[in-house]
Amino acid sequence: MNQIKRLISRNAVPILFGVVCLVGVYFAKMPGQFILMEIVKRMARNSFLVLSLIIPVAAGMGLNFGIVLGALAGQIALILATHWEWGGIGGLLATALLATPLAVLFGYLAGILLNKAKGREMITGMVMGFFANGVYQFIFLFLVGTVIPFDNPKLRISTSPGLRNTIDLYRLKGALDGIWEVRYGFTKFPMVTFIVIAVLALAIWAFFRTKLGQEFRAVGQDRHIAAVAGINVDRNRKLAIIFSTVLAAWGQLIFLQNIGTLNTYNSHEQVGTFAIAALLIGGATVTKATIAQALMGTFLFHLLFVVSPTAGQAIFGSAQVGEYFRVFVAYGIIAISLALHAWQTRTAAKASMEEDVSA
Amino acid sequence: MKKRLSLLLALVLVFGLIGAAQAASLPFKIGLITGTVSQGEEEYQAALQMVDRYPGSVIHVTYPDNFMQEQETVIGQIVQFAMDPQVKAIVVCQGVPGTTAAFKTVREMRPDIVLITGVPHEDPPVIGGVADIAFETDQLRRGASIAQLAYQMGAKKILHYSFPRHMSMELLAVRYQNMKEEAAKLGIEVIDVTAPDPMGDAGLPGTQQFILEDIPRQAAIHGTDIAFFGTNCGMMEPAIRASLEAGIIFPEQCCPSPFHGYPGALGIEVDEEHKGDVAWILEQIKAKVADMGRSGRMATWVAPINMVFVEAGVELAIKAVQEGMDFSDAAAVEAAIYEATGVNLSINRYEEGYNYYLVLADSIIF
Repeated sequence: MNQIKRLISRNAVPILFGVVCLVGVYFAKMPGQFILMEIVKRMARNSFLVLSLIIPVAAGMGLNFGIVLGALAGQIALILATHWEWGGIGGLLATALLATPLAVLFGYLAGILLNKAKGREMITGMVMGFFANGVYQFIFLFLVGTVIPFDNPKLRISTSPGLRNTIDLYRLKGALDGIWEVRYGFTKFPMVTFIVIAVLALAIWAFFRTKLGQEFRAVGQDRHIAAVAGINVDRNRKLAIIFSTVLAAWGQLIFLQNIGTLNTYNSHEQVGTFAIAALLIGGATVTKATIAQALMGTFLFHLLFVVSPTAGQAIFGSAQVGEYFRVFVAYGIIAISLALHAWQTRTAAKASMEEDVSA
Repeated sequence: MKKRLSLLLALVLVFGLIGAAQAASLPFKIGLITGTVSQGEEEYQAALQMVDRYPGSVIHVTYPDNFMQEQETVIGQIVQFAMDPQVKAIVVCQGVPGTTAAFKTVREMRPDIVLITGVPHEDPPVIGGVADIAFETDQLRRGASIAQLAYQMGAKKILHYSFPRHMSMELLAVRYQNMKEEAAKLGIEVIDVTAPDPMGDAGLPGTQQFILEDIPRQAAIHGTDIAFFGTNCGMMEPAIRASLEAGIIFPEQCCPSPFHGYPGALGIEVDEEHKGDVAWILEQIKAKVADMGRSGRMATWVAPINMVFVEAGVELAIKAVQEGMDFSDAAAVEAAIYEATGVNLSINRYEEGYNYYLVLADSIIF
């Protein structure tokens, strides 16, 4: 009995979210085919990005809002790839290769900054994302075409410096998804994309069994003890952020090759918040996140996205109330999950304090 | 038993007839997607009118308010229509980012569906390449027409309020360029003012506050013979209010329409009876502007252009599905819009090769 209680209280957030999703599915009365198609697509697009968050959590750096930097690295590589007219899976691999050194550099810089802001990594990461966005806009809206020579009429705004706000990625669209697709009705399962995601999940699992992975864990549990034990804390934290940033860059490439158009100045904006929301909904906290939680969270978060507009419309009878309904349910539950976590940590801390006193 | 049976039969007949009368309006369905009232009241109201006109045949849904961040939902909402085999056309207004990706998916699933969009945000060749027809206000010619109108209303300078994200839109960038060129010919100056991006950290309230504070400041520097022009919908209500107070000139909104910003700024209550009533609202605005002693300083287009896009989109979709109308004939499209909405528009093709039309209507000075 106690075990069941513990299981429920530990997984309160995904259970709550799952129930809301089921209610949504019931009321939306959507064709099962559509739900399946949307979920498969969204899992293929987003899982890699959500998984990229796990390593910094284990290293005690919280949820890495800085993955926006990784996404930016991916997009910069994509812009160049479009300019040089790379296409197909070869083109996508070359783009990933091009994005990697950029992401390593961004991750390294972010790591230095976050080491100066220990204990406040999340808010620092978030503000860093805003800052990087500003720099990115400055480069691609102003420097391109003035300082940086760039004359591609398909990419440049015709009358002023800067890139157009939409870039058609038709050469790379479906480069990964399209290699091997299994059809079921309307739904196409992009097998290779799922294999890549599975390989990443396995790699993360294996990584935590290496010496470096164990060091990350030690740093995550207690920086001071890890330092005393002779682990180079700062270096490990930097490495964790670099890994996460590189994975996010690749994740963004997977995301965009599925969508097929790059919104030059917006595609990266949602990356951090959405991936983090998905991870939290899977039951992860700022101190503990697993692969299963990441995948579960991605599934639940996007299932709600798929069903809630129609469910809201069916329940309230108005198209726009359906939209508001989705927003308050999705973000309300995320707020609850954060509050629940804070409350659980406090009760745990209180309990251990009381134990200390009684001992 | 017999009595019951006959009653049942009668009921079936009656309901069957009603059902038939409704379904008879259109033998197929049209998917219509607009923003919610918080993004654009006009498209939403126009969509409700379309649902009333073709009950059961026009299905209306909305895209997220945060459409920039929630592109996947935009795509999902549009693609959902294609799952219904009765849907033969999809109308999207405004064509927010994600529309191109959604249209591509719909094309793959259902090549028979007619795809129409108004006010596309994505780059013209990109969206134009996949939509059957796209409408946008004629930003290119508007650059010159706004400068001329401002000059005609007595402006010596034009303040152009925008921000980098908008200026990365090809058409808005060219419009700004054309405005400057025309203004130079007329001997007036265009002053570029950068406002905070409503999608940025300060959000829409940040932009609106800036507009409210900046207009009196500019009027103090340059005098009242300056004209306001802003590129963002959220700016319009505070801009109209501040322009009236400061006494500067307001030639037209970003999306010209008597319903856009004027009712809110002037405190005109649009009741149920007058929702979408253009003649009535024009009269009301004229009276209020005159009350404030600002006659001749405020203007807009005679038709609410985004509402026209929704209505024209649905009507053209019906023509395309039922009569196989060819959208590549600009003159025929112009005539069909006039027939359907009663609004006389001048339309221009943006570029050869696809049906991306730029639309201009007449102005009215209050």
